[in-house]
Amino acid sequence: MNDFLKKLFEEADKAGLTAAEAYVVEEESFDAMVMEGEITKYSSNATRGLGFRAMVDGKMGYASTEAFDEEAVGQLVKGALDSARLCEDTDEQFLYDGKGKVPGIDLYNPALAQVGPEEKLDFVLGLERAAKAYDPRIQKVGDTTVFTGKQTVRIINTYGVDQSYTQNYCGAFLESIAQEGESIAAGDELVLRRGFDQLNAQELAAAASQMAVDRLHARPLPSGQYRVILENLVMTELLGVFSTAFSAESAQQGMSLLKGKLGEVIAADCVTLVDDPLLPGGLASRPFDGEGVPSARHTLIDRGLFTTFLHNLKTARKDGVQTTGNASKTGYAAPVKISPSNFFFEPGSKTLPELMKDVGSGVLITDVTGLHAGANAVSGDFSLLSKGFLIENGEKVRPLEQITVAGNFFTMLKNIRAMGSDLRFPRGGMGSPSVDVGELSIAGQ
Amino acid sequence: MLDKTIAQEVLDAALSTGGDFAEIFVEDRRNNLLMMRSGRVETVSSGRLHGAGIRVFVGLNAIYTYTNDTHREGLLRCALQAAGAVREHKAGKASASMTEHRLQNIHPIALSPSATEARRKVEVLRMANAAARAAGAEIIQVACSYRDSEQDVLICNSDGLYVTDRRVYTRLACEAIAGNGTENQSGFEGPGAMMGFELFDSRVDPEKTGRRAGDMAVTMLKAPVCPAGTMPVVIDSGFGGVIFHEACGHSLEATAVAFGMSEFCGKLGQQIAAPCVTAIDDGTLANEWGSENIDDEGRPTTRLVLIENGILKNYMIDTLNAKRMNMAPTGSGRRESYAYAPTSRMRNTYIAAGTYDEAEMIATMGDGLYAKTMGGGSVNPATGEFNFGVNEGYLVKGGKIVSPVRGASLIGKGAEILLQIDRVGRDTRMAQGMCGSISGSVPTNVGQPMIRVKSMTVGGRA
Repeated sequence: MNDFLKKLFEEADKAGLTAAEAYVVEEESFDAMVMEGEITKYSSNATRGLGFRAMVDGKMGYASTEAFDEEAVGQLVKGALDSARLCEDTDEQFLYDGKGKVPGIDLYNPALAQVGPEEKLDFVLGLERAAKAYDPRIQKVGDTTVFTGKQTVRIINTYGVDQSYTQNYCGAFLESIAQEGESIAAGDELVLRRGFDQLNAQELAAAASQMAVDRLHARPLPSGQYRVILENLVMTELLGVFSTAFSAESAQQGMSLLKGKLGEVIAADCVTLVDDPLLPGGLASRPFDGEGVPSARHTLIDRGLFTTFLHNLKTARKDGVQTTGNASKTGYAAPVKISPSNFFFEPGSKTLPELMKDVGSGVLITDVTGLHAGANAVSGDFSLLSKGFLIENGEKVRPLEQITVAGNFFTMLKNIRAMGSDLRFPRGGMGSPSVDVGELSIAGQ
Repeated sequence: MLDKTIAQEVLDAALSTGGDFAEIFVEDRRNNLLMMRSGRVETVSSGRLHGAGIRVFVGLNAIYTYTNDTHREGLLRCALQAAGAVREHKAGKASASMTEHRLQNIHPIALSPSATEARRKVEVLRMANAAARAAGAEIIQVACSYRDSEQDVLICNSDGLYVTDRRVYTRLACEAIAGNGTENQSGFEGPGAMMGFELFDSRVDPEKTGRRAGDMAVTMLKAPVCPAGTMPVVIDSGFGGVIFHEACGHSLEATAVAFGMSEFCGKLGQQIAAPCVTAIDDGTLANEWGSENIDDEGRPTTRLVLIENGILKNYMIDTLNAKRMNMAPTGSGRRESYAYAPTSRMRNTYIAAGTYDEAEMIATMGDGLYAKTMGGGSVNPATGEFNFGVNEGYLVKGGKIVSPVRGASLIGKGAEILLQIDRVGRDTRMAQGMCGSISGSVPTNVGQPMIRVKSMTVGGRA
C-alpha cells in the first residue's frame, strides 16, 4: 500500500494537483446467521478501499478505487482532475493542515481479535436455543446473527499528515416470534459491543423473547391526543433521523429548520444534547474525524439553549467559527459530509416507572418502524407505525399495535416534560434516556 | 475477467473439504455520481468497485467469503478460507468442466455512460434544477443527482456454469424543498432505467422530473396536516406500487417463506387477495430498472406470476432456498455487489391492469384519502405488519378531492389489505426504487394502476 500511495502522490503532483489526500479504509468482517440450528449464512472477509481527494485551482476533485494496480493510479488522478474541473462549488475547500494534537484513545480490543470462528458459531447457536427455550409461546427465532469487525482508517496528505486508528467491535441480533391462539408478535434485540465477553446470550435471548411475549394480543386504541412517553430506544431512533438538522451544512443549504436559531431556546430546559467522540467505550468514538481533525466533546443544546451546529473545515470557515471535528465519510469513497459521533441526550433523574407514574394515563411507545418513510428530516414531521403499552394509573396495562404516533420533532423538543435516568446507546453512537414528551397524536381505530 | 482454468482451480479449492457446490461471482463496476445543489455542481466522483465473492454449500448451510484481490492467489486464499469454514471436513469432489454460456442481451444499451461526456450529464442536472426552481417562489433549495453504473459480472460454479453479463444503469433524482420561514416541506422524483444515457432521449424528461419534485414541495407546504383514522384509500399508479412491494412482495420471497417466517407460508393455490388482484414479478421487461438478463446466480431471468385473480401462484426462490423448500429456483437470486451472498429478491414487481375507471374510484369512495405519491416503507414478513409514508396526499370528501394533506402514513397487515382491495384501474405504471434486504440494496421497480382499498388505518395528526 505504501508503494501505491507514493506513486499516487507523485503522479498527482505531476498532473498539477496541488494538494492531495488519500483516505484508506481496511476492513475485516465476520458474520454468521443461524435458523433452526442450521448455519444459513457464514461470511468472512477482508477488503480495502481508497478515497482520493485533490485540489486544482481551488476546486476539490474526488475519485476512489478498490483495485490497486498501475491502472488504478492513472484512474484516480484523471478522475480527480475531471471531477475538480467540473465542480462549481464556490466554497473554499480545505485539506487538514495537521496542526492539532490527536488525542490518544484506545478502540482496539486484542481479546476480541483472539475469538475464533468456532466460538462465535457456538455463541450464535446457543443464542437461538436460549431464545426458543425462554417461553413455550416462542414459536420461531429468526435471523439470529453474530458479527465481528475490525477497521483501520488512515489519512495521509501532502501537508505531511499521516495518521491512523484501528478499532474492533462485535454484535448480535435476533428476532423472536411468539404465538398464542391467533395472535402473533415479534420482538427483537440488537447489540453492539467492544468486547465478546460483553455479549450475554441469555440476556439477549430473554430481551427479544420477553418483548415478543409482552406484545401478544396487542391491539390498537381509539385515535386521539395522548400523553406519551417515548422509551429510550425510540427517542434514540428519532434523534438519529433528525440529527441532520444539527449539521452546519444542512443549515447553510437551507435544509435545516434550526438555521438562524443559534443562541435561541429550541427545547425545554431539561434538554441537553451532547456530541462526544471521546466517550469511553462509545461505539462511535474516534481520535480524529473524517478530515483528520482531532476529536473534541461539544454541547449542542445546553438546558434548552441551542449553542452550536456540527461543523467540518469548510462549513466552519464559511460561518467564521472553529470546526467541531464532525467531518464524516459514510465510506472510503464518499465525499466529506458532517455527522455526529456519540450523540446523546443527557439523562435526568427519574426512572421509567417514575415517569409513567407522573403521566398517570397515557401511552408508552416502545417501538417505531419505517423511519426512512415516515419521518422527514427537513420538515421535522413524523408519523410512524408504532408499538407500545397503554398506561393507566401509572402502570402498563395492555400492549398496543397497529397505531401510528405523529408529531413534529422540533415542536416536541420544546414540549418535553422530563428526561428519564435510563440513558442507553442501543444501536451505536446515538443515545437517549426515555422521555416524557407531553402530548402527541395517535392514530388507531 | 477470469480465466476458466483458474476458475476451475479456485472452485476445486472451495470444494476441497467436502462442500457440495461452489460458486464464484466476480464484479468490476464503474460508478459515476454528479450532484448539484444551489444550482451549482457540488460533487463529481467516479469510483471503481472490484472484487469477488465465493460461496460454498454444505447441505443447507452456506459459506460466503469475499475479497478485492481477484488474482489467482487472492481467489485461492478466499476459496480455502471458505473451505476451512466447513464444520465437518470430508473428501472433496472436483467441479464439473465449464462451458461458456453466451447470453442473448434483452436490454440493449445505446449510449454507454462511460463514453458520454460529463458535460452532458451536468446539462441534465441543470434542466431538472431549473424546472424545480420554477415551481414557485417558495422553493428554497433543490438538490439533484445523476448516477450511472456499468457493472461487469462473471458467474461460474461447480456445476459447469460460466457466464458473463454487463448491467448498465442510469438514474436522475431531484429533491426540492419549499419553505416559508417556519416550516419546510420536500418533494422528490427519481426516474431511472437499465439504460445508458439514451434514458434522456426516450424515457425521461429532466424538466418534468424537476417540475414534479418542485410542485410536490410547494403543494405540501400549503397543505394542512392529514387527519388520523380508518378510512377508504385510493392509491395512485406508479410508486403507489410500493404498497404491494411492502405488504406482500417481501413476504413472498423465499428468504422469508423457506423459514416459515412469512404469513403466506403454505398458501400456494389459496385465495390471498381480492379476485381483482393479479400481481407479477418480471425481470424480462426490456431495459426496466429492475430487469436483468441473468440473476446473480447466473440463471436466466424470468416472468413470474405471483398472484392470479387473487390466488397465490408462486414464490420468488433462489438456489439455496429452492433446496430448502423442495421447489425449483425462479431466477430470483440477487445481490448488491460481490460483498453479499445472493438471495431471493424482487425485480419489477407490479399489480397488473384491471378494468375499473380511475375517476369512478374517487367519485364513489365517499370520505377518505387519495394517496397520489407514496414515500418508502417497510414490512415485517413474519407478522405482515407494514408501514409507508404518503409524500403527496389529498383529502376526499363525498367523492371529491377537497385539499392536499401532509404527514400521512398508511399502516396495516399485508394479508388483510390484499383482501380489502375493491378496485384496480386500467393503466399500470412503474416507478423506480432501491430495495434493501439481507443481500444489500438492489434496483427494483414497483408498479400498479390506481387501486382502492376499502379501509386502511391512516396515521396523521389532525
